[in-house]
Amino acid sequence: MSAVLRSLRQLILGETWTIPLGVGAALALAVLIRAALPEGAWQAAGGFTLAALLVAALAWSLRTRR
Amino acid sequence: MTFVLTMAAAAAAAGIEMLEALAIVLAVGMTRGLRDALLGALAAVAAVVLLCLALGPGLLAGADLHLLRVIVGGLLLLFGLEWLRKGILRMAGRRRRSSSYDEFIEEREALGGQAVAGSGADWAARLVAFKGVFLEGLEVGLIVLALGATPGHLAPALLGAALALFLVSVIGLVLHEPLRRLPETQLKLGVGVALTAFGTFFTAEGLGVEWPLGDIALLYLAALFAVTAWVATRRLVRAGPFVEVVQ
Repeated sequence: MSAVLRSLRQLILGETWTIPLGVGAALALAVLIRAALPEGAWQAAGGFTLAALLVAALAWSLRTRR
Repeated sequence: MTFVLTMAAAAAAAGIEMLEALAIVLAVGMTRGLRDALLGALAAVAAVVLLCLALGPGLLAGADLHLLRVIVGGLLLLFGLEWLRKGILRMAGRRRRSSSYDEFIEEREALGGQAVAGSGADWAARLVAFKGVFLEGLEVGLIVLALGATPGHLAPALLGAALALFLVSVIGLVLHEPLRRLPETQLKLGVGVALTAFGTFFTAEGLGVEWPLGDIALLYLAALFAVTAWVATRRLVRAGPFVEVVQ
């Protein structure tokens, strides 16, 4: 049973915590930026801001060590 | 155009997961008996369908559309970015290439070494088939539910899943030669790009963004993540013999 639960966790959150943490941080930052920007500016540029944050999250998840 | 893109993304994602489930069922069927493998697989399909029917409408009913888009987008991002991460590592040679055929061979060898119980029901074989199909099926269910959760997307998502089911069934009937020839690593990377593009699109819309060119945004988002994957793969290849950081 615990093996199935572990598989379910991996299925939804992935093998490492980097992706869920990265997605969570990107969304939290996007919400903060939305609150700081005028509404029109967010409507026009918010999507690209979120995409850039997600690219950064992906790059962070690919960190390697020797 | 969104109809075609949603259907293609659902078909590709569901197809890949169904192939993995098929590899397990074939391995169980060839080593322990097709009847027990099919019974385990059918029970798993029924469990996934019931779970989706029970949870899907309940989760979606009455939900605020903006909140729903953020939740669905977030779910697609979790799947998409994970597939992208793994795909980049595989393309860069940091991780074993994905192959349902190899999984089939490994599963068959593992099961072949175990004793088969008498002439009655082979519960071990049923359980292996059930677990494999349930976990892969649940991923199909979650992706199809997520892609189909926003208005107008359910039909193409379901059609995509049905198309995938048809294609994987044909592969299953012709057995493992087509399984060996599929470029699964590249397909999974492509699905990661598509799911991440959809996830970004829905999440941003949920947060009040108006995408320039409307639904065309899905295409330039997919291009952005494809280029990112290509650049990341090249950087990893050039960086030399490192190992993946696993938390």
